Amino acid sequence: MLEIKNLQASINNKSILKGLNLVIKPGELHAIMGPNGSGKSTLANVLSGKNGYEISGELNFKGEDLKKISIEERAQKGIFLAFQYPLEIPGVNTNIFLKTSLNSIRKSKGEKELDTLAFLKLIKEKSSELGIDEKILSRQLNVGFSGGEKKKNEILQMKILDPSFSILDETDSGLDIDALKIIANGVNSSRNNKKSFLVITHYQRLLEYIKPDFVHVLSDGKIVKTGCGELAEELEKTGYKQLN
Amino acid sequence: MQNFEINSDQIDKIKKITAEEKSFRIKNLELFKATGFPNKRLEDWKFSDFENIVSRNFEELNIKKASSEINKIDLLKDFDHNHILLVNGNFHSSNFEHEEKSKIKISSCDKSIDYKISKNPLICLNHALAENGYSLEIDKNYKLNKVLVVYNIFTKDMKNKILNNKNKIKVNENAELHVIEYTVNESKSKFINNVYENISLEKNSKLKNISVQCNESDGFFHKFLKNKLSLNSDYSNLIFSSGLKFNKLDIECDLLEESCKCNILSALFLKKNEHQEIKTLINHLAPNCISNQKIKNVLSSESKGVYQGKIYVKDVAQKTNAYQLSKALLIDDNAEFNAKPELEIYADDVKCSHGSSSGNIDEESLHYLMTRGLNRNDSIKLLIKGFLNDVIEFIKNPKIKKFIESKLEKQINGR
Amino acid sequence: MKQQELEKTKEYKYGFTTDIESIKAPRGLNEGVIKFISEIKKEPKWMLDWRLKAYRRLKNVKEPNWQKPKYPKIDYQNLYYYSAPKSSKNKPKSLDEVDPKLLETYAKLGIPLKEQEKLSGVAVDAVFDSVSVATTFKEKLTEKGIIFCPISEAIQNHPDLVKKYLGSVIPITDHYFATLNSAVFTDGSFVYIPEGVKCPMELSTYFRINASETGQFERTLIIADKGSYVSYLEGCTAPMRDENQLHAANVELIALDDAEIKYSTVQNWYPGDKDGKGGIYNFVTKRGACRGKNSKISWTQVETGSAITWKYPSCILQGDNSVGEFYSIAITNNHQKADTGTKMIHLGKNTKSKIISKGISAGKADNTYRGLVNINKKASNSRNYTQCDSLLMGNKCGAHTVPYIKNKNSSSIVEHEATTSKINEEQLYYCNQRGLNQEEAVGLIINGFCKEVLQQLPMEFAVEAQKLVGISLEGSVG
Repeated sequence: MLEIKNLQASINNKSILKGLNLVIKPGELHAIMGPNGSGKSTLANVLSGKNGYEISGELNFKGEDLKKISIEERAQKGIFLAFQYPLEIPGVNTNIFLKTSLNSIRKSKGEKELDTLAFLKLIKEKSSELGIDEKILSRQLNVGFSGGEKKKNEILQMKILDPSFSILDETDSGLDIDALKIIANGVNSSRNNKKSFLVITHYQRLLEYIKPDFVHVLSDGKIVKTGCGELAEELEKTGYKQLN
Repeated sequence: MQNFEINSDQIDKIKKITAEEKSFRIKNLELFKATGFPNKRLEDWKFSDFENIVSRNFEELNIKKASSEINKIDLLKDFDHNHILLVNGNFHSSNFEHEEKSKIKISSCDKSIDYKISKNPLICLNHALAENGYSLEIDKNYKLNKVLVVYNIFTKDMKNKILNNKNKIKVNENAELHVIEYTVNESKSKFINNVYENISLEKNSKLKNISVQCNESDGFFHKFLKNKLSLNSDYSNLIFSSGLKFNKLDIECDLLEESCKCNILSALFLKKNEHQEIKTLINHLAPNCISNQKIKNVLSSESKGVYQGKIYVKDVAQKTNAYQLSKALLIDDNAEFNAKPELEIYADDVKCSHGSSSGNIDEESLHYLMTRGLNRNDSIKLLIKGFLNDVIEFIKNPKIKKFIESKLEKQINGR
Repeated sequence: MKQQELEKTKEYKYGFTTDIESIKAPRGLNEGVIKFISEIKKEPKWMLDWRLKAYRRLKNVKEPNWQKPKYPKIDYQNLYYYSAPKSSKNKPKSLDEVDPKLLETYAKLGIPLKEQEKLSGVAVDAVFDSVSVATTFKEKLTEKGIIFCPISEAIQNHPDLVKKYLGSVIPITDHYFATLNSAVFTDGSFVYIPEGVKCPMELSTYFRINASETGQFERTLIIADKGSYVSYLEGCTAPMRDENQLHAANVELIALDDAEIKYSTVQNWYPGDKDGKGGIYNFVTKRGACRGKNSKISWTQVETGSAITWKYPSCILQGDNSVGEFYSIAITNNHQKADTGTKMIHLGKNTKSKIISKGISAGKADNTYRGLVNINKKASNSRNYTQCDSLLMGNKCGAHTVPYIKNKNSSSIVEHEATTSKINEEQLYYCNQRGLNQEEAVGLIINGFCKEVLQQLPMEFAVEAQKLVGISLEGSVG
């Protein structure tokens, strides 16, 4: 699915990722943990194609060089980023936004566009599956949403757009336990042998609900340690400092 | 105005002028004569018809020289300061006892004539006739220890005079100057004072200006301020000019180089039939500059407040941050507030906004204060002070702040 | 079609001309031409006198020049002031008699009259060049006592109403273009809603300029009698021509006690080509008088076309408790120039007004909001809220805000806010990440930016307007 070799990324001449290697196979869920400033969000941004970064190294997604592909094409090819701070876009209705987004992804895959009725049905299904009040979708995109609502909205979008590779950038931060369960449920119910996930988190808490196949520790722009689920618990006890 | 004639031989009376200066003055005099005093047909005078104001208040006007003599002046005791004395616009004397004297150049009236032709008839009049005023220059790297108070004194024998003055302030690289312009009125009769002031701020320099009145005046004031800001310079102007019968302050700021800051704030309390206008034009000509205008007016009895503000952003002035706010409280039925907040923007990566509001005192706030035991009048005063307070908060020196506060309080209580 | 022309048509969807023979008045402007227009319309003498009075006045007034966009001098003597499709000389009695070519044109414009009659329930008064071609749905409206007809018909059939109200909001002495219109107006719509009647459907007019070197001067008069309600839609298109064409319409609205008029415009006149050649000069005077107490007039406009637009749909709030609203979207691209806004004149007590203006500039265009809020001394407890937002796309275009605010009443509150910004990069990124390409993302964000205005439009119009918003900005990103 995803192959990263010696990835280096800098912004405004400040080097942030310094030779990162990572391979994610279909069906795998990887967690990336690490202290603040270690480059976790930069990794998410680079994968989604955010402008402003100087990048070198290899970045292959399903055999294609991601570096040459625009943000929206990446999304159309199945990369989804659940933002750490989802943006508020005033005036734009969430439903309309999602429908436009879904149809442009479907169109790129050569699938038929969904009409309004089919789309509404899909939304109803996915939101009740997640236990999210679908009313938030008739509001303006993230405007006036609480922190929890914004994050839930990101997961709902993930369910609806049905990507093959999802990146969750600290989706768990600032959430209460109920919201956390909804998020975890959203991820767990999507897992299958074709879909992969990259879960970025600062705390081990989320990983109690989402069981990762691999846990990586990111520090100063590099993966310094890789292990299975237990690594996360270990880190929770000892903290990141022990690693350096 | 029937009884106001200026002949070009007035210009002949001006001593020691070059042929070039003379032709400049004559040209400007002709421009003024072609239009006369500005009236509301001129866009910039739409809300302040000066021609009409003059003809209602003056039966005659003359440009005879006013005396520059004075017997005695009470200097402010509220804080240590340097001073310049202007008597009827004439440079009288200066005292920089707190400073290194070699760092400061002071002289009377600026004689330069490299001014552009103006569409404002009062500026033309000034260019034609001005021969009084002062010119001040602060040397490179010198930061004044104490504030400079410019005493602007108008004496008793001012009746029907129209005075034209020209001032110039130059703050050189890395220098700092803090000015308080303090107007003292002894004249009981009406007069017009028409000032042109030229201010230039060189690289990394700083100028703070506060203008305030000692007492009420029957003077009619017009002042045009041209400010030029160079790299990383910082200009602020705080206006507390309540108490004048008519005042129009026309401020133009050219932000010529990157990273300039420009703050213009005013807190006015107008009463009787006072009429004050503040007009600002901020030209953002270079990237990364910040400008901020905050204009607050409290308008009582039949007073009239006007604000015309324009922010211009040139295409190269990316990352401009410009904000403009004008607010008015109309506390009596016959008060009036007019505003024209304008934006003209040609660069896309900018943050520019303005807000303007006018209305009366919020009844709910009044009610709240009164349930806490204040009477209606005191509650109103408190709300007015609160309304004007954030401009005063801008003053950092506690002694000066206290001084300005007491002046403003007097203006509010005197209503 | 040659490749070049094909390209052009892509830019402006309505850029076709219709080959219909037309009757024109002789070129130029003089008393003879005015008499010709009046005669061909079989007007009564009072109407001709009114026109001539305006014409004589016109000779003594000058064109205004205070607006921001300047334009090359118009040669008024070189224009045709009357142009009518020949086939309408003997007016059709029903749609079936209308020249099929005309109907085809309207179909291309997206207003198939027949379809519309059956399906959408919108009554359409279509003005082709200067003559109303057919008015649909007449019967149903007549039942309710509603008069909806070309103004030329109203002059003959309802002279009392026309005499009483024509020129009562925009006097013939108002300003150059209003006076010009008063002298030479050729047709337009007339609406009268009787006391207590709520008009059961949206009334709609489609204007289209076809003949070349023609000025279009339609005149619309809408009267809402006590307690009545009407929603009126106006859409405008014009074919592509290399020369500039002048459109100087007058629209007068009168709302009596408790009446409400909602007037919506989607203006998509030909804006000229990419280099600024050709296009319509859209110099329009629109004004409404809230004469009665509790009356309301609401203007909504989506201005995406024309080379130059000057218009200030205004409200005179005379009646106590009356309400004026102005919702506007103005989009300018390439070399287009728009100078638009409103005047809210508060005269009565407790009058309220609201102004929401959204300006978007791209390419080398200039977009100005110019408005006046005037609270008179007697307008106690009045309120105004104004919000003007501008969006710039690129740094070759300009956005300007020129509001005039006068408050002479201490019990009244006036609030004004304005911002200028560009499209937020982070928002674009967010949309891109969800699979939208740059143009789709921009379209979406712009539609969001304009939402408060778009939602004022009736359904059918809103859809069209949303599409227009996207089309107008095509090629302006990237």
